Amino acid sequence: MVQYSYFPGCNLKTDARGFEKSAIAVSKKLESELVEIPNWNCCGTVHTMTSDNLMKRIAPVRILARSRNHIEELEDTLNQAVTLCSMCNSTLKIVNKEMKEDLDALETINFQLEEDNETYENDMEVKHFLEILRDSVGFSKIREKVVKPLIGLKISAYYGCMLLHPDEAKIDDAEMPSVLEDLVESLGAESIFSPMFKHCCGSYHIVEDEDIVTDQVKKITGDVLSRGANALVVACPLCAYNLDQQQKMLMEKTGKKDVLPIFYFSQLMAIAMGEPWEINHFEDHKIDPRELLKKLKIEE
Amino acid sequence: MSYEYIKFGPEERDFIAKIEEISGQNIYSCYQCGKCSAGCAFSSRMDKTVNQLIHFIQMGQKDRVLEANTHWVCSSCLTCSIRCPREIDVAALMEAVREYILREEPEKVKISELSKEVIEKLPNIALVGNFRKMTG
Amino acid sequence: MSKTKTTLKKKKEEKTGMVKIYIMGQAYDVPETLTIMKAMEYAGYKFTRGSGCRAGFCGACSTVYRKEGDFRIYTALACQTIVEAGMVLTQLPFVPADKPEYDINSLTPSANTILRYFPEVARCLSCNACSKVCPQEIKVMDYVQYCLQGQISKAAEESFDCVSCGLCAIRCPAEIPQYHVAQLARRLHGKYLMKTPDYLDIRIKEIKEDKYKEGFKEMMALSKEKLEEKYKNRDRESN
Repeated sequence: MVQYSYFPGCNLKTDARGFEKSAIAVSKKLESELVEIPNWNCCGTVHTMTSDNLMKRIAPVRILARSRNHIEELEDTLNQAVTLCSMCNSTLKIVNKEMKEDLDALETINFQLEEDNETYENDMEVKHFLEILRDSVGFSKIREKVVKPLIGLKISAYYGCMLLHPDEAKIDDAEMPSVLEDLVESLGAESIFSPMFKHCCGSYHIVEDEDIVTDQVKKITGDVLSRGANALVVACPLCAYNLDQQQKMLMEKTGKKDVLPIFYFSQLMAIAMGEPWEINHFEDHKIDPRELLKKLKIEE
Repeated sequence: MSYEYIKFGPEERDFIAKIEEISGQNIYSCYQCGKCSAGCAFSSRMDKTVNQLIHFIQMGQKDRVLEANTHWVCSSCLTCSIRCPREIDVAALMEAVREYILREEPEKVKISELSKEVIEKLPNIALVGNFRKMTG
Repeated sequence: MSKTKTTLKKKKEEKTGMVKIYIMGQAYDVPETLTIMKAMEYAGYKFTRGSGCRAGFCGACSTVYRKEGDFRIYTALACQTIVEAGMVLTQLPFVPADKPEYDINSLTPSANTILRYFPEVARCLSCNACSKVCPQEIKVMDYVQYCLQGQISKAAEESFDCVSCGLCAIRCPAEIPQYHVAQLARRLHGKYLMKTPDYLDIRIKEIKEDKYKEGFKEMMALSKEKLEEKYKNRDRESN
């Protein structure tokens, strides 16, 4: 069993626990087990784009240092820290590149970490779980493990920003990616393209100016629905919350009936591979995907 | 078409230098192609588009830059940065303007005034991200 | 007997060495065996704030110091730490931290609850400045992160030794009052997450069924003398 050092990120233990549990379950089935780093801290979600603030880079470097220590305990592993959250993917990759290019900054940060007996020596790579699935596991192997093909699901892939931006973080071509579509098709579902696939959901503006997010969600879901999709697949807990909660809010406010339930890609995999549904924690979703699944006669 | 005379002295130069220092970008690389504004998902909400704001920075017009809402509406999606033909990290320029303000007045979002009920419903990732970008 | 006498005499002849320390910038020579708190009192300071149990438990005597020629910041509880030559110290008799009001009975143990009352926890930079100054050697950053992640029980366990001295809160760049956050986490853990031992449930049941009602009634009716007698003749575990 290949094992990967897995970095959850702050939301994967709370709102996105279904994402984590389903991902760990399918990772075991695909013999590429995600093993959590025992002692991790928040990466900061959005990376600081200032050139002069080292304080905000300490957290990601610390994570990489801890991941490096962690892989000593794993079997058959690589120098890779694997994330499920797209924002963690972007932040960690950017900082990793910055540390490789600015050794002075790394040295200063290592001074801070030294007191906790940790050092980062630029010897880790950061991968998103989708990259592992595509490059190390392979879609044909995933296809083999499917016992309940997701017939009837017309899924539009919503990448969001951080899986594809910036250049050092992208897991696929930034303007025409295909990894989520390929994954969805390997599970037996139909993939529907929408040009809104990376139209920003509004991200952290949900805190102080909900209108911004509402407008974005309307644009995205409006286009996706007009193309005949019946669900969205995402890889970022913040996008998932924004799309889910805003649609629910609009549904209650305007009485609009057609909504798109949001799935994390690992939840789709878990259903298709016959895992028990409780690990997906569908009850946490604001728009319950089980209604759609029932309608399409996709059962546990 | 109207013309306006603007001042371009040491204060203006200081402002440009500060923005360049915080962002690590060369502000004069921009030749105003407008691709950043075209790709920006929030352009319709901005009173000055991204490229207009950059032009103001190039002219050192600090007050006009600080009056705009461009950098606050920005959600750091980085679409502008990956599309810039001059390879300017445009999002870093937006961040530099935000930091320029936050380093003096750290409370764009007044955390103590956010409703407790709202905070309780939001996912922790949203709070972390928002406070990183909007508080100092 | 005589041996003890000679030993005592010898001890009196040994003179305690003195060291120079600086209390709020003023130099004093104090005996090297004293704790910071005793040394300050030796130097003539009288504690009306910043002193409590004198036993390392109440967290009142938080002290910040540097050593001559050393740029590092050190922290200590004054009642527990012996002076060192060249110490340049001051005290923090009070650390301001807003403590929100909450009704523990109406809360759920989750990250959202912690963030509701302490949204600044989301600003944590994971810089670890807090853990470095903790006089109890608690991994403060770790428990704040556990709170952010919703792992309330882990946070409660990690912060168990906290004496609320406030040193972490004063160093925090994100301006989090770590010890208040930890207290909420411990309360949530104790009320909702910690398993109660079975025998506690049994005893509570017995009390509710009035098993001890008669016994208490009897005791309450006794005179002082009768109570003393009962006490002297109580069941004792013999060694």
